[in-house]
Amino acid sequence: MRLELRGITKRFGSLVANDQISITVEPGQIHSLLGENGAGKSTLMNVLFGLLHPDEGEILIDGVPTKFENSGEAVRRGIGMVHQHFMLVPVFTVAENVVLGFEPTKSFNRVDYQKATDDIRRVSKEFNLEVDPDAVIESLPVGIQQRVEILKALSHDAEILILDEPTAVLTPQEIDALMEIMRSLAAAGKSILFITHKLKEVKAVADVITIIRQGRVVGTAEPSASESELASMMVGRDVELTVKKEPFSPGEDVFEIRDLVVRDDRGLAAVNGVSLNVRSGEILALAGVQGNGQTELVEAIAGMRPVESGTITLNGRDITNASPRKVLDAGLGHIPEDRQRDGLVMSMTVADNLVLNTPRRAPFAKRGTRNLAAVTENAVRLIKDFDIRTESPQEIVSSLSGGNQQKVIVARELSRELTFLVASQPTRGLDVGSIEYVHRQMVNHRNLGNAALVVSSELDEVFALADRIAVMYAGKISGVVDPSVSRESIGLLMAGTVMETAHD
Amino acid sequence: MSIAPAPAETKLATFRPSGRTRVISIIMILIGLFTALAFGLGSVASAHSSLTFTPVNLTAAPWHLGTLTVLTRWTNVILGLIMVALGAEMYLRQPRRGVMGRFGVVAVLFLLALLLWASRAPGPSQVGYVNVTAVLIGSSEVAMVLVFGALSGLMCERSGVVNIAIEGQYIGGAFFGSVIASTTHDFFFAAIVGAVVGGLLGLLLAFLSLRYLVDQIIVGVVIVTMISSLSSYLNLQVLTPFPQYNTGNLAPNLAIPLLSKIPIIGPVFFNQSAFFYLMLVLVGVISFALFKTRYGLHVRAVGEHPHAAATVGINVVRVRYINVVLGGAIAGIGGVAFMASQGQFQPGYTSGLGYIALAAMIFGRWRPSGAVAASVIFGLSVYLSDNLQTYSIPISTEILGMFPYIITIIVVAGLIGRVRAPGADGIPYRHE
Repeated sequence: MRLELRGITKRFGSLVANDQISITVEPGQIHSLLGENGAGKSTLMNVLFGLLHPDEGEILIDGVPTKFENSGEAVRRGIGMVHQHFMLVPVFTVAENVVLGFEPTKSFNRVDYQKATDDIRRVSKEFNLEVDPDAVIESLPVGIQQRVEILKALSHDAEILILDEPTAVLTPQEIDALMEIMRSLAAAGKSILFITHKLKEVKAVADVITIIRQGRVVGTAEPSASESELASMMVGRDVELTVKKEPFSPGEDVFEIRDLVVRDDRGLAAVNGVSLNVRSGEILALAGVQGNGQTELVEAIAGMRPVESGTITLNGRDITNASPRKVLDAGLGHIPEDRQRDGLVMSMTVADNLVLNTPRRAPFAKRGTRNLAAVTENAVRLIKDFDIRTESPQEIVSSLSGGNQQKVIVARELSRELTFLVASQPTRGLDVGSIEYVHRQMVNHRNLGNAALVVSSELDEVFALADRIAVMYAGKISGVVDPSVSRESIGLLMAGTVMETAHD
Repeated sequence: MSIAPAPAETKLATFRPSGRTRVISIIMILIGLFTALAFGLGSVASAHSSLTFTPVNLTAAPWHLGTLTVLTRWTNVILGLIMVALGAEMYLRQPRRGVMGRFGVVAVLFLLALLLWASRAPGPSQVGYVNVTAVLIGSSEVAMVLVFGALSGLMCERSGVVNIAIEGQYIGGAFFGSVIASTTHDFFFAAIVGAVVGGLLGLLLAFLSLRYLVDQIIVGVVIVTMISSLSSYLNLQVLTPFPQYNTGNLAPNLAIPLLSKIPIIGPVFFNQSAFFYLMLVLVGVISFALFKTRYGLHVRAVGEHPHAAATVGINVVRVRYINVVLGGAIAGIGGVAFMASQGQFQPGYTSGLGYIALAAMIFGRWRPSGAVAASVIFGLSVYLSDNLQTYSIPISTEILGMFPYIITIIVVAGLIGRVRAPGADGIPYRHE
């Protein structure tokens, strides 16, 4: 099926999310849509999938202009979408999820699960996507869940597949498997629209690359283009993809955790006997697929979640189960994973957010009253030093872009007296330019002889920053390695598996 | 080299039941000890209790089961020890399933022991025997009303809307049901009007919570408050001066030939009002619709993950409207059924049954069959707390009246985090 988007424009109030975007996807082609977060990729996909209606422009399928009132209609017209956050009902079986909305029925409106299961088996055989139709979704690994999403689209006879940031939650091995699937689907004549901001993946799999920036198509590129070419097109200026670091000269242990056990909200041991140490002048990167206990580990360190057993030591002080205030006073800086929930008070000003964890200290407060002049002065200085793009220190922080919100947090944490920084997914959702900036700040912090723990599920980030890499899987550290090891072996550790000798 | 599949059970393997299982088992042990000591050893050694099984309305009962007489003290000691054993087994084994099932058994045993104790002779009892069939019939009326409410609740919550307004829908159904039944002398019309009233209240809940995304709990509570005040007002202004609109009547029992003659089971299940049979049919129909049909798959998808449902073309808001209105109608019929079992409308006489129905829904894990089982237990306890006075036992009526609510609190507190509500239960859906 040949899909053409012609002059698509979508506005939200005064914001133009998509500005005259035109793209053509040929049958059997893997077409990459490369752009930063906020460039308008998701809006475009939602328009294509019938979730939003374009203000201008048209969608042509095999040359025929088409309009979708809702996503069900788009699906019926052969468009399948694999969402970044899977659209699967966790408590349903694979079969129930696949047939949802397209159920074969028997008498009395009963769903014909026998037929459904047979259909799934047939499609999974045809495209070599092995899945047990009776398995319950929530019991499946993320990679398999994604396979179910693809299967769901294919069994609705999708001719064009939209993959929206499909690799964000996968291990490197699962990413390889996904790319293999993409190639074989393209070989079978399906068209694939692959949305991402990851340069390596685009180069590995795409036939054609379209780059969008600020809602506009800024150009196309061949997969043979270099990563820095692609990055500068995406950002609109030259970007340094690697951060310069001074040679690694670690000092004493600054931070240590021993046999830590932390429970998650369901009472399960999300962190199950973790021991780690970080030395001064060192960045320890904690790699791993999301949801393997990293979040709980960081929350426990920051005093936001009770520790079941084990100890946390910072600068020789025991901070196990200490309150967040005590932990911060002990010299810990924390860049939380969910910046809008744990990092900022979204309805407060930039200036107030910049002193959020030091409001009672001089010079920001005196005898129990705030010194607003000092707060503003501090804000003006940090806005300049950290290049926060804001109209004024009194702007409400929620009106800033994601990258600038993150800069507010980075500025606040790094401007305090710290010996140890914990940064959880510090560049998630940021554009390449902001990533570069945040990375440079963290490396500066380390070059000054401080310690840092960086939790990241992005391998690029792990390799860019780490002096040592620890990998977390299922609540345990599955290995601590040197950054000179291959991606492959980190990937295996992320999957929680040891290398096996070849069998049969 | 190959990659072994990631062991998905890792987390499950480290699962340790929360302290809550322990707390529930300790409560069970305490209830058992209390039973053995107070109801067992607290009775004089010679006291004995009699259980009779002949239906109260002796009309043409072709059978006669003899009276079963037991020694109160030792029977209750044994019942208490069984409860202690169940609790101890649960404390030690910490099973992951069947926790609340065991608690249900203990609750029923406790009620039985309480009955035996209350009716013992020589004792303070004026009655001297317990008519088991009468107790079951009486409880079945309460249980029926609770089942209507629980079905209403699960219709709504399976689609992702919390219907805490069941109590209000009961009251509305009971009020208008009584007026219609009094004027037309036909419970069929009363049921229809009750369904319409309940459905309209459901529509109000749906409209406010789906259109304006108002907090569903708040809307529900407001509806209950509004309806209970309105019904008191109308009762004072209309029903009191014109009592002919509130003569009501008891819904006639429709005995099913042959089946109604079976000992115990017959009078309890096959000699009931039409509402009771309607309730049974509804349980079957809703079970089938939710778990076998395409409609049910859509409802459950909408209640678990509305965005996933929306991406395959299911109209989330419409499904929710339909279910909340249907659920309201079912609760409205429940209100009429309650009125028909009491004979007329009185302000405030539902006394929180709608909330107990919600607890029964949770206890029944959002399943119709579970809701029935839970309603039986709650029905028994409500009935007993209302009727134990007859035995003139040394417990004040007020304390007895708290009894069903205490069970409700234990059940709901014990269940939080143990049973899983539909994923999107109570969460407003925003179209993106």
